Amino acid sequence: MKKSIRTLFPLLLAIGLFLSACSAESAYTLDSIPDYSDSPYVTVNNNLPYFSDADLKTTSFESYSDLDGLGRCGVAYACVSTDTMPTEERGSIGQIKPSGWQTVKYDSVDGKYLYNRCHLIGYQLTAENANEKNLITGTRYLNVDGMLPFENMVADYIKETGNHVLYRVTPIFDGNNLVASGVLMEAESVEDKGNGICFSVFCYNIQPGITIDYATGVSALATSNTAGSIESAAPKTASADTNTEKSIEQIYILNTNTHKFHYPSCSCVEDIKDSNKQTYTGSREDLIVQGYEPCGQCKP
Amino acid sequence: MIIIACVDDDMGMMFNHRRQSQDRILRERILEVTKGSKLWMNHYSAKQFSENCASQINVDENYLSEAGTGEYCFVEDCDISPYLQWVEKIILYRWNRRYPSDQTFSVDLVTNAWKLVHTEDFTGSSHEKITEEIYTR
Repeated sequence: MKKSIRTLFPLLLAIGLFLSACSAESAYTLDSIPDYSDSPYVTVNNNLPYFSDADLKTTSFESYSDLDGLGRCGVAYACVSTDTMPTEERGSIGQIKPSGWQTVKYDSVDGKYLYNRCHLIGYQLTAENANEKNLITGTRYLNVDGMLPFENMVADYIKETGNHVLYRVTPIFDGNNLVASGVLMEAESVEDKGNGICFSVFCYNIQPGITIDYATGVSALATSNTAGSIESAAPKTASADTNTEKSIEQIYILNTNTHKFHYPSCSCVEDIKDSNKQTYTGSREDLIVQGYEPCGQCKP
Repeated sequence: MIIIACVDDDMGMMFNHRRQSQDRILRERILEVTKGSKLWMNHYSAKQFSENCASQINVDENYLSEAGTGEYCFVEDCDISPYLQWVEKIILYRWNRRYPSDQTFSVDLVTNAWKLVHTEDFTGSSHEKITEEIYTR
C-alpha cells in the first residue's frame, strides 16, 4: 500500500494544479501520505484546505466532474449550505455501479458488505441520490469510519450556524485502477473564515483484514487469501444490472441524523424530528450499503 | 470544581483546534445549570457564549487553576488531567454523533471509579438527542 500511495503524489499534484486552475490561485505540493496504520484518515497540508480566499464566497453551488474514460469519478466541489441540504426523502442509489464495483460480503465487515456506494459529497450535505458522478466504490471502513464523521461535523455546523462551507472531495486513483486508493477531503467555513470548520484529510479506502486489488475491486481475506462471498458480478453499465440485492423491497423509516433505519411501527419513530425523518422504499441491504444501521429495538 | 465538557461517541472534543460541534440550546442549559455559581472558561470558549448575557461567566486562560470548590469549568480544548484531584463532579454532554477528533476527554470514567449518578436526554437546536451525564466520585 505504501508504494502505491507514494506513486499517487504526481497524480495528487496534477489534481491540485487542475483545481488551481478551476478555483483561483491555490497551488500545493504533497510531501507524503503515510502508509495506513490504525487511523482511517491522515491530515494533509497541516490540515489546511487548498482553497484561496477568493474561493470563499457565500454563494451555494455544486459541481461534479464527468466520469473519465474508465468510468471513474473526479472532483466533487460544492459550497454547502442549508440551500443544498436535503428537503426530500432519500432515494435509492442501488442502480449505480461505480467503477470497480463488486457486491461482496465478509463476516468480519460491519454490515457484511465490503463495498458501499460511497458518496463523494455526502447525501446529508447536497442531497444527491443516484448521481453516478458522486458515487465511488468505497469500503465500509472508508464510508463509515473515514468520511462520515467529517460529513457529520460539517452538516451539524451548517444546521447550527446557517453558514456556508466550501467543500471538496477528490477521489485518488492510482494509474488505471478502477477503485480509488482514497479520497482527499477539504472543507472550510466561509462566513467565519474557517474558525468553525477547517480540515484537509486523506481518507484511506481500505478495509482492515481484507486485501483489495484496486485495479479491479477483487478482494480477499488478508490472512487466508480467501475471496468473499460474491452476490453479483459488477456489470459495466447500470442498465445491465440484474440488481439482485434489491429484490426484497420494504418500507423503512430513516433517521437521517443518526443514520438508523426502523420499521414504520417502531416506537422510536415518533421521537424522530420531522426534519430528520424520511420514508424509504427499498431493500435493507441497500440501506446498509448507504451507511445506515438497523435500529437495535425493532431490528429491521 | 465541577467540569463541564462535550464529547462525541469516541470521547472526542476537538479537531484541528476547533470544537467538534456546538448547540444553542445546550449553551442555554449550561447557563441554567450553573446559575448562581461561577462558570469559568477560557477566551476560546467565551466566544461561544458571546450572545448570552450571563453574569456567572468568568473568563481566564488559567481558569482551571482559578476555579474553587463548587465552581464550574467549561472545558473544550484543555487537558484536565493535572487538575483531576480537585474535580468533584463531571457533567458530560454527549452529542451522540461521531466526529473526527485529535483531542479527547482525558478522564477515564471507568477505571478512575467515577459513578454515573444521572443521565438525561434532551433535544438541541441542531442535535436531535444530546445526553447529559453527571458523574461523581
